[in-house]
Amino acid sequence: MTELLLGRRRMAVFVALFLFVVVLLTTQFRSPDQRAVGPLGTLVLTALLPVQAGMVRIADSGEDLWRQFTEIGRLRVENMRLRAQVAALSRETAALREQAAAAARLEGLLELRDAVAYRSVPARVITRDPSHWFNTLTIDRGALHGVARNSPVVTPDGVVGRVIEVTPTAARVLLIADSRSALGVLLQRSRAAGVVEGRGSDRLHLKYLSRTAVVNPDDRVVTSGLGGVFPRGLVVGRVVSVTREEGALLQEAEVEPAAALDRLEEVLILLPRR
Amino acid sequence: MSRVLIYGGLLAVAGLVQVAWLARVEISGAILDPLLPIAVAVGILRGAEYGGMMGLAAGLLQDLLGGGPLGVNGLAKMAVGFASGLFERSIYIENPLLPAVATFAGTLLSEVLLLTVGQITGLGGAAATSAPRLLTQAVLNAALAPVLFRGIKGIEIRLARTR
Repeated sequence: MTELLLGRRRMAVFVALFLFVVVLLTTQFRSPDQRAVGPLGTLVLTALLPVQAGMVRIADSGEDLWRQFTEIGRLRVENMRLRAQVAALSRETAALREQAAAAARLEGLLELRDAVAYRSVPARVITRDPSHWFNTLTIDRGALHGVARNSPVVTPDGVVGRVIEVTPTAARVLLIADSRSALGVLLQRSRAAGVVEGRGSDRLHLKYLSRTAVVNPDDRVVTSGLGGVFPRGLVVGRVVSVTREEGALLQEAEVEPAAALDRLEEVLILLPRR
Repeated sequence: MSRVLIYGGLLAVAGLVQVAWLARVEISGAILDPLLPIAVAVGILRGAEYGGMMGLAAGLLQDLLGGGPLGVNGLAKMAVGFASGLFERSIYIENPLLPAVATFAGTLLSEVLLLTVGQITGLGGAAATSAPRLLTQAVLNAALAPVLFRGIKGIEIRLARTR
C-alpha cells in the first residue's frame, strides 16, 4: 500500500515537473526572442552574472598566460629554424656569389683568349709562395698542356708574369712584382721605351726612360715586345708618379700593376702559335 | 532550508564553472557538464522526486546562464534526474562504478531528449548530435561523476547528522 502511494506520489511529482517545463517552454517559444527569463530569472542572473564575468576574466588571464608560455616555446623553435634557414641561405648566397665571380673572371679570360694573337691555356692558381706573397705562384698547367719556360702569363686586366719552372702538370710563375723580374715596356701615349722591374712590393719600378720623354701620371704602360718573352701591346699598368732628378740623364716612375697580383685565381698562359 | 541553500550554491558554482571555464575546453565537440552528474547523484541518493527537481533546477540554471529558451535543458535534466531515482532501491549504491555508469546512460538520455525537444520546437540540434560527440560527452560526464557523487554523498551524510 505504501509502495503504491509512493509510486503515485512519484508519478504526480513527475507529471507536475513535466507540465511545469512544458508550460515554461511554451511561454518561451511564444515570446518574441524565444526567451523570457522573468523576474526570478533576472534576479538569479543579476546575482550570478558578475561572478561569471569575474570567472571569465580569470579564465582569460589564465589563457593569456598559457598562450604566452606556449608562444615562448614556439618562438624559440621558430627562431632556431629561421636561424638555420638564414645560415643555409647565407652559405648558398656565398656559393652563388663565388660562382658568379668565377664566371665573370672566366668570361674575361675567354675574351682575352680571343683577342690575343697567341694560343692560350687557361690555368688555375693552386698555390702562392708563402714567404714572398707577391712574387711567385703555382698554376695547374704544365708541360703536358704546352706550357714552357718563359711563357707569358696574363689576365684580362694585364700582365702577371712569366713561367720560370715547368713540371708536366704544373708550373711556377714569376710575377712582374718580383725583384728578379724585368720587362721591356712602352708608354702607350708617348711611345717612350723603358724597363719595368719588380720591387717585391705592390708597385713596379719603371726606369731607363729618356729625359726628354713626356711622362705623366695615369699614363698607360704596355709591353714593348722586346726581349722575346711578352708579346707587344699587353697592358702592364699605369704610371702613379714620375721622378726627374736634377742633372740625371734618365727619368724614373712608379707603376701600379694592372693585374691584381695579390688576388689571382685564374690566369691565361700565352703560347706561341704552332 | 539548509539543503536548498547548499544544493542551490552547488548548482550555482557548477553552472558558473561550466559556462565560464569548462565551455572553453572542447573535446571532439563535447563540453564537460557537471550539472548532469549532480542531478544523477541526487536521484540515486535521494530518489526520483528529488532527482527530478534537482535536474530541473540544474537544467533551468544552465538555460539561464546560456542564451537559449528556458526549459530545454530543464526538461532533459529533469527526466535524467527522475530516471536515476527510479532505480534508487533496486541498485547497490556502494558500487563504485554506479555513478559513472548511471551518468553515462543519463548523458545519452539527456542528449536524445535535447535532440527531440530541438526537433519539436524547431531549434534543430541534429547537426550537433553526432555519435562521436555524444559518446565523448557521455564519457566526459561519466569521468566526472564519481567525484561529484562522493561530494553529494558527503553533503547528504552531513545533513543527516545535523538533523
